[in-house]
Amino acid sequence: MSGGVTNLADDFSCKTIDPNNPHGPRVDAIFPGDLTLRYWKYSPVRYWNLIAAKFVLEHPQRVFYGVREYNEGGWCYTARPAEWYVKENVVAAFPKNMVLAVYLNPNMRVYLCRAEFAAKDDPMCPVDWQNRYRGLVWKSTS
Amino acid sequence: MEKHFLEGKMAGKPEFRAEPWYNPYGDCIEYQLVDEAFVADRVDELLTIYRSVLDNRPIGFQIKGVQAIIRKFGWEGLVVASEAGAGQVRSVSVVALLLAAYETGPMTLGRRRAYAAVMDSSPKHHTIPADDLVPA
Repeated sequence: MSGGVTNLADDFSCKTIDPNNPHGPRVDAIFPGDLTLRYWKYSPVRYWNLIAAKFVLEHPQRVFYGVREYNEGGWCYTARPAEWYVKENVVAAFPKNMVLAVYLNPNMRVYLCRAEFAAKDDPMCPVDWQNRYRGLVWKSTS
Repeated sequence: MEKHFLEGKMAGKPEFRAEPWYNPYGDCIEYQLVDEAFVADRVDELLTIYRSVLDNRPIGFQIKGVQAIIRKFGWEGLVVASEAGAGQVRSVSVVALLLAAYETGPMTLGRRRAYAAVMDSSPKHHTIPADDLVPA
């Protein structure tokens, strides 16, 4: 990985809904070791918000497929954690008008976790989700 | 807040670094000026502005589809070559990537304003080694 980060940290996996078989057994979502190490070293707030990302993967409310126009495949899992880090060592309630989106590539590697403004028609979906993603794979009923 | 699930697995001292970097898992370039939580302000398929959740100011951006941009425009025009020791190092200009991304979409006022704002905020001479741009 760029920026002098070598892959010294191990990958970390957690169980999440299988986007190819949402009603089947859960599968591994992987936090790549070199990515988490980069966050730890150079983006502490992102590092600490991996806690919220893991929550989203373990308790997803929506799962979308086809998240990029120029890259094949990929998934977006969304949910609303109770709190997150807004600055280093500063925890706040997660904003009511936002949803946390965790993006995974086709190999189920997490590559991004970020807040998105929530859609007006469904507060668990990112705004404009109908046009941004190819489709909704799964929706929580709880 | 709960204990981090990676506690004890990280080495080194954390120190925020404001520099663009290539994320091979997402085939994207990320740049963040300050270490704050942000909300995505999606401009188009290739550019997303990061706005601080504290005061909505732009604090970074993401350029997506880097491989597609390189395929479309080729290395020429994106690469800045420099001498380093005995060999030549090829680096990709972040501003050139932004310009290429802009050329890919419709020439609307909204896009022009967004791309101009991002270029104003980004370091003009930042480059990323071409060898780093390998998707995982």
